[in-house]
Amino acid sequence: MGKPDFRVQNLHVSVEGKEILKGLNLHIRGGEIHAIMGPNGTGKSTLASSLMGHPHYEVTAGDVVLDGEDVLAMSTDERARAGLFLAMQYPAEVPGVSNANFIRQALNARRGEGNELPVIQFHRKLQEKMKALNIDASFAERYLNEGFSGGEKKRNEILQMSMLEPRIAILDEIDSGLDIDALKIVANGVNQLRSDNIGFLIITHYQRLLNYIVPDHVHVMMQGRIVRSGDAKLAEELEAKGYDWLKKELGIEDETVEVEA
Amino acid sequence: MSEVNTAVSHVHRVAQALGEPSSLLALREAAWRTFQELPQPYVEKTDLRKLTWETGTFSEQVGKVPAEVQAYIDRLQHSYALFVDGLPVDLRLTEEAKAAGVTYCTIHEAPEKAEALWKAHFGTVVTANENKWTALNQALFAGGVFLYAPKGTHIDAPFETVYVWTGGESGAYSRSLVVAAELADIQYAETVFAATTGAKVVNSHVLEIVALADSRVQVSTADAFHRGPTHFVTRRARVGKDAHVLWTVADTSDGLCVELVENELAGAGAKGLARVVGLGHGRAHVDLTASMRHVGRHTESEIVMHGALRDKANTIFRSRTEIVKGAVGAGSEQHDRMIMIDGTARADAIPMLLIDENDVQRCGHAASVGKIDPTQVYYLMSRGIPKSIAVQMIIWGYLHDTVEALASDPMRELVVARIERELSR
Repeated sequence: MGKPDFRVQNLHVSVEGKEILKGLNLHIRGGEIHAIMGPNGTGKSTLASSLMGHPHYEVTAGDVVLDGEDVLAMSTDERARAGLFLAMQYPAEVPGVSNANFIRQALNARRGEGNELPVIQFHRKLQEKMKALNIDASFAERYLNEGFSGGEKKRNEILQMSMLEPRIAILDEIDSGLDIDALKIVANGVNQLRSDNIGFLIITHYQRLLNYIVPDHVHVMMQGRIVRSGDAKLAEELEAKGYDWLKKELGIEDETVEVEA
Repeated sequence: MSEVNTAVSHVHRVAQALGEPSSLLALREAAWRTFQELPQPYVEKTDLRKLTWETGTFSEQVGKVPAEVQAYIDRLQHSYALFVDGLPVDLRLTEEAKAAGVTYCTIHEAPEKAEALWKAHFGTVVTANENKWTALNQALFAGGVFLYAPKGTHIDAPFETVYVWTGGESGAYSRSLVVAAELADIQYAETVFAATTGAKVVNSHVLEIVALADSRVQVSTADAFHRGPTHFVTRRARVGKDAHVLWTVADTSDGLCVELVENELAGAGAKGLARVVGLGHGRAHVDLTASMRHVGRHTESEIVMHGALRDKANTIFRSRTEIVKGAVGAGSEQHDRMIMIDGTARADAIPMLLIDENDVQRCGHAASVGKIDPTQVYYLMSRGIPKSIAVQMIIWGYLHDTVEALASDPMRELVVARIERELSR
């Protein structure tokens, strides 16, 4: 398979009849890191969830294509098996299901029937990845996210990403609630995975994370669409000057489209 | 022939077939009279008005052991007793248990083999005059063990009673008595294999456990009763001073069942735990009460009930805590949670607190009925796991801890297979 190619064209998404995304365009190729920034309530998390097919979000217009395949026609699990991954801002807790069991089921689902990874190889790989992410060995047998601290949950998302080796990884506010050490570990996990075989979409509203994961492209979202794109310098500029200058330049008074972040 | 005479001859037949001493026959006859005198019972949410209390005719023919059961028995490494339609087929005691001086025989042999213990305990934990079905059990019981663990016995491997009901015309009335002497630490298990039957008989099963001071008894049960008969199950432990009785109950019945599992925390410092998993399916009507009766001072209990329901199952889970006057400093917790897998099922989670004592340490309860959390399903699907497998994983996760607590690998695997069969449809 060649380099991943992920296109979002003119995407419109509604929640309970209210339009949140209003014609969003993106093109991510393997080897690229795109960052989406923007104040709270501009539709960033809606973008992440609707790309993954969260049932709460209704796509009313537009196309999403991964490697020539129509993503919008797929169910959430089909999207994941096609190579899409979303590191969630608030991953669910599932008592009674161990982390290792969960990741193994997911990995084997992605690899397909008849191509499952043998148990011993799986555990060896899991241990390696956990070590690289500075995750305690006991993590494997703990119940999925149950009683995990915020930082542990985020690291678990990155662990899953590095085990599943997606073609397109979307990281939704992976930096929120992380202290500087945890942030470095998470960033390190992303950087280790960086290659032509994976493209990243990193959603954040702080520039801080981008000190550790240097993006190739930075997009600013307001009012449910991308209003400005640039390179890593755009992120630095926003960090230094905030968003107001951009709003003024674009003639935007209220940048939000939704109540929630 | 009058109804009484028919019945007495019925009692005689059972007693004779089992070769019991005459003292037991008198006990059975008295219980039969009690059974007849007691009024039709009322159970909230389970309609028993049409129940005719047919008992069928007791058969002395030992039925064939089904292949599934034989395969199960062949795997058991621990002490076990096998009963088919109430008649003893096999009873094995491990060398370890023999060396420890454990008494292990059929309930019918107990009056001779362990007379003093029998007299002291039989029918004292579950009495004949409690209700119509406990009386019926005492009149007609056939099949069951007597187990006595002497003072200080510590055996990790369980003693397991396997009941097989091949679906004949006769009612099923098993009865076992377990006595753990001071400081004993044992595990006891009951596993039921029942065939489906069209017989509209009344079945009543009883388990009595006496946990003397400082003893610890872990009890595991795996029930699967089917439609046709009405099944009553009464399992109770009397827990002595600083003793501890822990129940792990796995019920995959699809029949009409009224079940009770109860600890009477009689001695000071007695402790009880009841973990229950239920998978309701088909047209099951399972009315299951897990109960803790606090009588002694500073007694503690916990009830954890997890139910999952499919098809047109109707499952009623009651978690019941009673703190009687004088049981000062009691502590109790209840968690009762039920998941509806199919919208056609019906679940009732009923927490009951009956408190007559002012000095209570703590008394918590939580009960809920709901669907599978869609955010959990979405999360698993977002990693490539298909929806049907995601749902199974979540339900398994929810039942997991209790199933893990069952007494042995064969028992766990049996329960897993029973649940899996219904979940994967």
